[in-house]
Amino acid sequence: MSIGHALLGLLEGGPRHGYDLKRAYDERFGHDRPLHYGQVYSTLSRLLKNGFVSEAGVEAGDGPERKRYAITDAGVTDVERWLGTPEKPEPYLQNTLYAKVVLALLSGRSATEVLDAQRSAHLATMRGLTRRKSDGDLADQLICDFALFHLEADLRWLELTAARLDELAEEIAK
Amino acid sequence: MSLLVAQDLHKSFGRTRALEGAGLTIRAGEIVAVMGPSGSGKSTLLHCLAGILPPDSGTVTYRDRELTTMSDSARSELRRTEFGFVFQFGQLVPELTCLENVALPLRLSGVKRRDAERAAREWMARLEVDAVADQRPGETSGGQGQRVAVARALVTGPKVVFADEPTGALDSLNGERVMHLLTTAARETGAAVVLVTHEPRVAAYSDREVVVRDGRSRDVEFVR
Amino acid sequence: MNRVLSDLALGVRLAVGGSRKSWVRLALQGVGIGMCVAVLLLAASIPTAFGNRDLRGNGRDVVSEGAGPAPLLLEHGSMPFRSHHISGDYVRALTPDAPKPPGVQRLPADGEIFVSPRLAALLASPEGELLRPRFPQKIIGTFAEEGLDGPQDLRFLAGDGKIEPSSGNRVHAFGRTGPGGGLPPILSMLSVVGAVVLLFPVLVFVGVATRLAAAQRDRRLAALRLVGAGAVRVRLIASGEALAGALVGLVIGFGLMFALRPFADDIPIPELAVFPADLTPTLPLTLTVGVAVPVLAVLTSVFAMRRTIIEPLGVVREQKPVRRRLWWRVFPALAGAALLASQFGKVDETSEPAQWPIVAGVVLLMFAIPVLLPWLVERVVHRMRGATPALQLAVRRLQLDAGTAARVVGGVAVVLAGTVTLQMTLAGVEHEVKADEAAEANYRHLAVSMHEAVDVPELTGVLAKAPGVVSVQELTRTYGTLPNNDYVAIAVGSCAALESMAEVPDCSDGKAFIVPSEKSRDDAEAGDVLGIEKSDSPWTVPRLEPSAGSRPGLYLTPAAARGMSLAEATTEVQAELDTALPDAAEHARNAIAFHSWRVYSYYVGQDDSAEIEQVFFAVRRALYAAALLTLLLAGASLLVVGLEQVRERRRPLAVMAASGVPRGTLARSLVWQNAIPLVISTVVSVATGILLGVLVTRVFDGEVAYDWTGIGIVTGISVGMVVLVTALTLPSLRRATGALGLRTE
Repeated sequence: MSIGHALLGLLEGGPRHGYDLKRAYDERFGHDRPLHYGQVYSTLSRLLKNGFVSEAGVEAGDGPERKRYAITDAGVTDVERWLGTPEKPEPYLQNTLYAKVVLALLSGRSATEVLDAQRSAHLATMRGLTRRKSDGDLADQLICDFALFHLEADLRWLELTAARLDELAEEIAK
Repeated sequence: MSLLVAQDLHKSFGRTRALEGAGLTIRAGEIVAVMGPSGSGKSTLLHCLAGILPPDSGTVTYRDRELTTMSDSARSELRRTEFGFVFQFGQLVPELTCLENVALPLRLSGVKRRDAERAAREWMARLEVDAVADQRPGETSGGQGQRVAVARALVTGPKVVFADEPTGALDSLNGERVMHLLTTAARETGAAVVLVTHEPRVAAYSDREVVVRDGRSRDVEFVR
Repeated sequence: MNRVLSDLALGVRLAVGGSRKSWVRLALQGVGIGMCVAVLLLAASIPTAFGNRDLRGNGRDVVSEGAGPAPLLLEHGSMPFRSHHISGDYVRALTPDAPKPPGVQRLPADGEIFVSPRLAALLASPEGELLRPRFPQKIIGTFAEEGLDGPQDLRFLAGDGKIEPSSGNRVHAFGRTGPGGGLPPILSMLSVVGAVVLLFPVLVFVGVATRLAAAQRDRRLAALRLVGAGAVRVRLIASGEALAGALVGLVIGFGLMFALRPFADDIPIPELAVFPADLTPTLPLTLTVGVAVPVLAVLTSVFAMRRTIIEPLGVVREQKPVRRRLWWRVFPALAGAALLASQFGKVDETSEPAQWPIVAGVVLLMFAIPVLLPWLVERVVHRMRGATPALQLAVRRLQLDAGTAARVVGGVAVVLAGTVTLQMTLAGVEHEVKADEAAEANYRHLAVSMHEAVDVPELTGVLAKAPGVVSVQELTRTYGTLPNNDYVAIAVGSCAALESMAEVPDCSDGKAFIVPSEKSRDDAEAGDVLGIEKSDSPWTVPRLEPSAGSRPGLYLTPAAARGMSLAEATTEVQAELDTALPDAAEHARNAIAFHSWRVYSYYVGQDDSAEIEQVFFAVRRALYAAALLTLLLAGASLLVVGLEQVRERRRPLAVMAASGVPRGTLARSLVWQNAIPLVISTVVSVATGILLGVLVTRVFDGEVAYDWTGIGIVTGISVGMVVLVTALTLPSLRRATGALGLRTE
């Protein structure tokens, strides 16, 4: 995800300090991975260079950086363009799991075990997400659901592959 | 503590072998997902566990009582008093109002009409369907109907709830809601849930899963 | 037009369907409507049957005028035998080409006789042993159909060379054209009421049969409606379905009618038995049946579709139906009762009754049942909440769909009501007949009247020596004309002779007695001046003492009859019988049988009660058979409805069984589901039947009698039907509640 666009979008509500921006980002999108301060400032300076944000004054005080940033018209246009462009659907053609299954079959190891282990791991993660979902608010639920649907897709693939292992083994043996 | 134990179950329908040595242990209060592809024997396993179908061979023990040797009426009574059921669809009696549907198991156990309906109303409120209490199932939405069914399954305070594809006929949102309410309520009352599903997202509501493949079941251990 | 036809065709195809279930439904419909059609066709044959009977009667009538000397002499010689009536003629041909009556190959010569098949059978049977002395002639053949009224006629034609020409026995030819007398008004009225009571349920049943297994069809048509078929098209499609059933029914009906026809001559009541060939429906009535039944089927089916047309979604989703309104449903019942009440006592043996209020009243009252019943069932189940889960399930089911059940039992109800009405009318008639019978039972005298050529002293001598005859008295009989022109019977004889006719206490010569006639007629009083039969001299009535007897009239000792001209009076011999000897009357008759047509004996003391019992038993049995048949049909439709409901609710039933609902509870709910409407309809129909019975009996000024046993039996059969039907649905319930019912297909 483009951190730059996310920060621009957050700035549309009004000028903020870098520290505020980090907090707002973490609250909404951070979840597993909060931003480092360094990341925030390097991104902001890139945006400043491109003319998407401007410095809106420095406050007096003893904090490390008390600069406030505001979004420019060019920045607003850039956010609009970004929101309007669909994300490219991932083709997921390069897949470690598939490679593992094939290698297990080629080396005469149990591919079923590979699949089952993966399956357990997936379900365990899904359980965790489901639990978190039931304790969390709507934002939590939506984000967990996003992950759950992806994991479910993986699991469906695992099921399908497990059901077609014999076929696959024959194919490889040829 | 093991509540319900099935060992080495075999069951055939004509020439079709549904179960070939399936086994399962359910501990009190846990939620177990029974997963597997269509036709793997999931539902048959559930029917045998719940004493709806007698297996051809093997044992099913509930609290030290052997289900396979019990009479039909004794199993019937056991199902009525100790178990609860949620199915995919068509489980509510279309003529009765939703409230009467929920009250039915209590009434069958001899609870007075007024008491039964009061208890039913409480459960319907817990499942957020008290608004449709006086409507017939045909007049409710699918999600409401399933929640009414969950209320009916839980109203007798069962030790085990058997749920066979409880969200199979629902969209994701309603499915999630039914699963959330079902598992929350089951955890609160300490009922174990046997959840037959082929949807991983539904299975994710469980504590552990059992995979049925070609009539054989396997506990899949997982790391919490 | 093309669209109309194609929609109709679609309906027919839906009805025929191809699946086994739709064939079963069509077959049930066909059998149901077929039975109705058969009954209607039999009713349509009645004019032919009795018309032909009249025609044959006319063909036997003698033509006594003609040119030249008469070629044939004929004397009527009817005779009673026990409770049979044997009619016949004695003939003497004077020329070789003398005319012969229809049904015989030639005229019998002296000492020869033709008999009807039934008379031949009677003579050959052990019972006929007592009759044989009266027919010493040689039987030379039996009558063909055209010489008989009906298949059970007891008739003979004997040759007698000793007949001498007299004023009344000359025959020039046989056969007369002209209208018959027809039925007396009261009888024709009764038969109209009977026909309405019998046929109306048939019409209702056509409707019921058309709607067999209708719930499922309603849903199918509602689905058609939901996908965009217009109201008109859905009606057309429904009509097509109904039409298919009606046409199959017509075919089955005609088949049944011709299958039943050969049994027509076995009807145990001689007056009703007809030759099978006579049982041919008249063309106009056949056409009416052929058109009316399909039209009726289509109309009921379209009319019943109202709800499907108006709210198809409600039918598909099984929502609570609209409540039925009462006001127009009461109207037929009230109007019918009022019409009948307005005719109370207006019909008797002489007056010409106003037919339409009675017929309309009966029809309206019968119509009230199927109209009121759905409303009533709905109201009753609406109030019920169900004390037990089984009852609750049944009640809720009925609340959702009271119509189907009410319609099915509605047919039963009309039949039941009709049956109860007929039973009551029958019981009333039986009651009166038995009372008459009882009044006559103690009568011990055989009255013998004779042709003038018979030597009276010789006859009395023979009679006196006959077995079983205690004494023989002579009576002189004549008629007097009252001032108001009414006739009064007069009997003159010794006290002993009078005693044979009436109670004459302290009788001595010179006394006069009167047996009063029925209330509607005037009686002779002392001082009245009477004109005497075939005499110009009037006679003044002396002081009369009241008496009692079975024949009303004046009973005079010779001294009291002084001044009366008795020259033209007839002589009647009264033979007192020893009632201890069985069949004493028949033995006495056999003793004087050699006089053949010259004597006629009359014995009212014949104990006919066994015979009457038999007739009523036969009628009652026919009624039960008809009621049972319709109830069976209703049972079959209840079964279809029941099976359909089990199949439809397979899933909830299976789930309930899986969740531990005992099968007994489910079975009991099925019992309730059938029993509630049936109990309501039985109560309604028995009540309506009794009401109708009372009203009809009152209209005919009869005595109201209740046939509780009959009502009990019919009610019992209905209850048994519910149990049976439910028992038959149990296997399918067992199948549905097995774990396999849980599987999704």
